[in-house]
Amino acid sequence: MSSPGQPIDDVNLLLSDANQHLACGADIDELLEQAADGYAGQFTSHQRDCVYCQAALREFGRVWEPVRSLAAERVAVPAALKGAVASQIRKLVADVRYTLQLNDGGAIRIAARVVARIAREAARDVPGVRVAFGRSSHSRMASLVERAALGHRHPNAAVGVLGRTAVVDLAIVAQYGDELDAVAREVQRRAVAELRRKVGLRDVTVNVTVDDVIT
Amino acid sequence: MARAGRLFRHGGGTVGSDVDDAYLVRRAQEGYVDAYADLVDRHGGLAYRVALRLLGNHHDAEDVAQEALVTAWQQLPGFRGNSSFPTWLYQIVTRRALNRITRTRVTESLDLLGDVSDAGAGPGQHAERDLTVDAVTAAVSALPPPQRIAIVLHHFEGLSNAEIALITGSSIPAVRSHLFRGRRTLSKTLAEWR
Repeated sequence: MSSPGQPIDDVNLLLSDANQHLACGADIDELLEQAADGYAGQFTSHQRDCVYCQAALREFGRVWEPVRSLAAERVAVPAALKGAVASQIRKLVADVRYTLQLNDGGAIRIAARVVARIAREAARDVPGVRVAFGRSSHSRMASLVERAALGHRHPNAAVGVLGRTAVVDLAIVAQYGDELDAVAREVQRRAVAELRRKVGLRDVTVNVTVDDVIT
Repeated sequence: MARAGRLFRHGGGTVGSDVDDAYLVRRAQEGYVDAYADLVDRHGGLAYRVALRLLGNHHDAEDVAQEALVTAWQQLPGFRGNSSFPTWLYQIVTRRALNRITRTRVTESLDLLGDVSDAGAGPGQHAERDLTVDAVTAAVSALPPPQRIAIVLHHFEGLSNAEIALITGSSIPAVRSHLFRGRRTLSKTLAEWR
């Protein structure tokens, strides 16, 4: 414990290993905690009359001011972070693609996530839809058809339609009070129309799940 | 405590902001990748910020934040929701940052100058601010890892001792003890600098 006398206002003296308490008996670590948490100026009833505590709190508060100021700064997130994460996740997720056409020039494919994205954006425009997420999976049948066609490709049948079927699942959160059945049907209708218009997919199955409502 | 409750603050402005983290986690677990993209939108900043404070430089922080967010995606099927998504993410980031700390010991400046809007400050103030940021960064980076983690999570992230104990798999008294020692060391270093 510090010996009674002048209040100490030197941090290194206050925090020397032997020191656990001030001359008044106050716990030094608790005073440091108080100051570091930003409450150096909010005295307890003891501290209001204690020159030892006040000197220590003032000094600790001064030393911690730059830390508190840095901690209060907003840290800008690098713009590339989200894209980098998305790109790595794409590599991890099975890279599913729909083959739209298989002709003599080669194959034209579109990633399933693009199909899901188009359906999701269509759903988000429907009144009554608050949140929508989309996922799409390549049907097993489509991949079998593609493999078979690649093996037995006939020049005359080159410009064909193949795998123009897609299955899209949409999970939506709807506005409470709306007619959910009508909202879901409108989501289905618009998603199908958009996929036909933008991608040329013919047989589109859009499963809509209304999994929550919010007011 | 300075900023209790900040852990559960949501970033606004994303399309999915009408729904809570638990909803997004469930959808992401079902394979809706865009639901996870919304979680990254909300909490990617947390991952980067903690990594930056623990590692002391942008380059490593960006790497570690990215690794942590990809790891979280990979481990999402096993996430049972016993803690909040941010708490779980804090765990992953802290662990990955710790791995990096034990591999490398070099620390550069935080140099946040370019990233922070500070329109009122003149060149002299910028230089002084740089020195302060460098001094605090160096002092934090010089702390032994357990003290550094406790100091960063409490004094920079505003988390309670209980939250830190949960994240680090430690006990509340142990967290308190790391904080006490970390504060003493940091105070002495910064007092000498001034």
